[in-house]
Amino acid sequence: MSTLLLFNVFNGLIIGAFYALMALGLSLILNLSGVINFAHGGFLALGGYIAYTLIPFVGFWGALLLSPFVTAAIGLAVERVLIRRLYGRDPLYSLLLTFGLAFMLEDGTRYIWGAQSLPYQIPQWLDSPLSTEFFFLTGYRVFMMGLVALVVLGLFLILNYTRLGLRIRAGTLDLETVSVLGVNVRVLRNLNFGLGIYMAGLAGVLAVGMLGLQPTIGDSLIMPSFIAIIVGGLGSLPGTLAGGLLIGVATGVTTVFFPSASEAVMYVMMAAVLLVRPRGLLGEEGRF
Amino acid sequence: MTRPTSSIIRRRTILTAAAAAGVAQVAAPFVWSARAADNVKIGLDNPLTGTFAALGKNELIGAQLAIEQINASGGILGRQVDLLVEDSTSGDASVAVQKANKLIDRDQVNFLIGNINSALAQAMANVSYEKGMFHIVPGGHTDSVTGTQCHWNVFRVCNTTRMETNSVSTVLLKSYGKKWYFITTDYAFGHSLQQGFEATLKANQGTELGADYTPLGTTDFSANLIKAQSTNPDAIILLLAGDDMINCLKQSVQFGLDKKFHIAGAQQELEVNLGLPPEALFGDWVFEWYWKQPGVPHVEQFVADIRKRTGGHVPTARTWFGYAAIHSCKLAAEAAKSLEPIKLAKAMQGMVLPPEVALMPNNPFYRKGDNQLMPTLFVGKSQKAPAGGDPEDLFRTTQLVKGVDAALSVEDTGCKMVWPS
Repeated sequence: MSTLLLFNVFNGLIIGAFYALMALGLSLILNLSGVINFAHGGFLALGGYIAYTLIPFVGFWGALLLSPFVTAAIGLAVERVLIRRLYGRDPLYSLLLTFGLAFMLEDGTRYIWGAQSLPYQIPQWLDSPLSTEFFFLTGYRVFMMGLVALVVLGLFLILNYTRLGLRIRAGTLDLETVSVLGVNVRVLRNLNFGLGIYMAGLAGVLAVGMLGLQPTIGDSLIMPSFIAIIVGGLGSLPGTLAGGLLIGVATGVTTVFFPSASEAVMYVMMAAVLLVRPRGLLGEEGRF
Repeated sequence: MTRPTSSIIRRRTILTAAAAAGVAQVAAPFVWSARAADNVKIGLDNPLTGTFAALGKNELIGAQLAIEQINASGGILGRQVDLLVEDSTSGDASVAVQKANKLIDRDQVNFLIGNINSALAQAMANVSYEKGMFHIVPGGHTDSVTGTQCHWNVFRVCNTTRMETNSVSTVLLKSYGKKWYFITTDYAFGHSLQQGFEATLKANQGTELGADYTPLGTTDFSANLIKAQSTNPDAIILLLAGDDMINCLKQSVQFGLDKKFHIAGAQQELEVNLGLPPEALFGDWVFEWYWKQPGVPHVEQFVADIRKRTGGHVPTARTWFGYAAIHSCKLAAEAAKSLEPIKLAKAMQGMVLPPEVALMPNNPFYRKGDNQLMPTLFVGKSQKAPAGGDPEDLFRTTQLVKGVDAALSVEDTGCKMVWPS
């Protein structure tokens, strides 16, 4: 039993890292612009479909590299044309807009690529376990973990050591003052939105290596992202990361004892955190 | 210029958003078409969005072809036929029931068709029974629809789960061994499939090493697969559907479990196989209809007709379910010479499908007593597309099993039909 538990804790960390990647993109957009991006799952699906379309031309690695950028470019356009108009208004406006956008993206992908799940193949050498004993450590999962770690590190470096990152962090605390200091907040919000969508696109490309590629792929992955943000603490990127990992481990461990509650455990965790520590594990008091 | 403001989001708003995310998964568009007042109306209440969208779309394509053929040959009782389509969603019974009520009360359909999801099919059956509406379930498999909760007005085209497990269990027991671990989707369909296999195991002194019920829409099966392999089974039996089956098969291949254990199940669908990479196409399964049936009358023509509508794709079992369900409405009406539900139901009991509708051997018929179609089941193996062959030829039939041989007797199904006085 203890081995089984240990296996599931490790496995949960792998899945949690993936949830964290999605939640970080969502959190970036929420923190600076105050937009609850319901369409994040739609952008995730778009990332997967764009990769599927690109593979015949540029191969698996080319698609992995290009698809998140193409998705981010679409995200930038969406922010420029739609989201931007709602900044400064009641958050429910942007919530409703992205809610509708999520449907448009899902139906759009269904219209272009069809409702039928599409086969997405990853390189043969990634598609097998690295050891017989730790069979759940497949080449693809280890690669995915490595890439997520790299992206989180990259995000940390951007936010802490670049002018853009400094402005994003400052804007998260007080956008008005940042604007008064001469920073073009329109561009700042646009780039930040693009960065968030880049992460959704990357999560999409990584997800289709493990899951079936269908228009609803984002639906089932969006809830853990929201919960990761709430559990980790609104406004805290390290909190979001921790929230994602915790959810992954909790669902993995629950499956050992009570598989049919593996999904419900996320909600129980969220309720417990809200009751005991309403600002989330690493959220700042009074920040939201 | 928009005045920049600090974020004014509150935690309550995020929680509202999270709740709305749940709603987003059940909200769905309406589909309707123009129709003449004196036309016969058939209401199709089936998933067009969500995890069963691909299956629903294929049932719709089959239904549309049948409508076209029926109208071209004079309609039903001399009246043209309209198909009214509603999206039931893939998993929300309240939406399916609401759409069924709308079709019956507002649109006043003459026939009700649906649903793919077993739980939704059962919920719709209860509504149609209350309202005395003639109803055909094209693709919801749970036994109770034509078993313990059968109704005089409800007929079913697809097999019961027990027929599926009975048809394949001999092959699984002989080839794989008697120690099984189940990974089962946590709703009516999965539960009744598992019950069927459990009965088989018990009868053959087999062992159930464990069973994981997974919520519909599960994306990650790694924890379940870790648990299953720790019991060292002869076979891991996957009783899943749609995208869940795709996710689980892909992940079991990545873990290398297909090389350590036998992985198989009962029902498999061409829609699932089409979504799998070649290395995940393995195992023994049951198909409920297959497009490659050399020598069976009318099948080639049906395949050709569907290819024309789908840009070259072959029909699946779902396409045939939709097709057979609509044609059954016409056959019942012509036999009853009426659109009255009771007369339709009486006429349909025991009715044999003609070859151009049956599209399979052994003369399928609607069994009197439980209203269940007794078709032929296609037991076989998933396969990679043969080199130089059709890329959608992803199954090889090894055995044809007659529905009557796989089904429980009417008494054993628990169906006690009560007819209106």
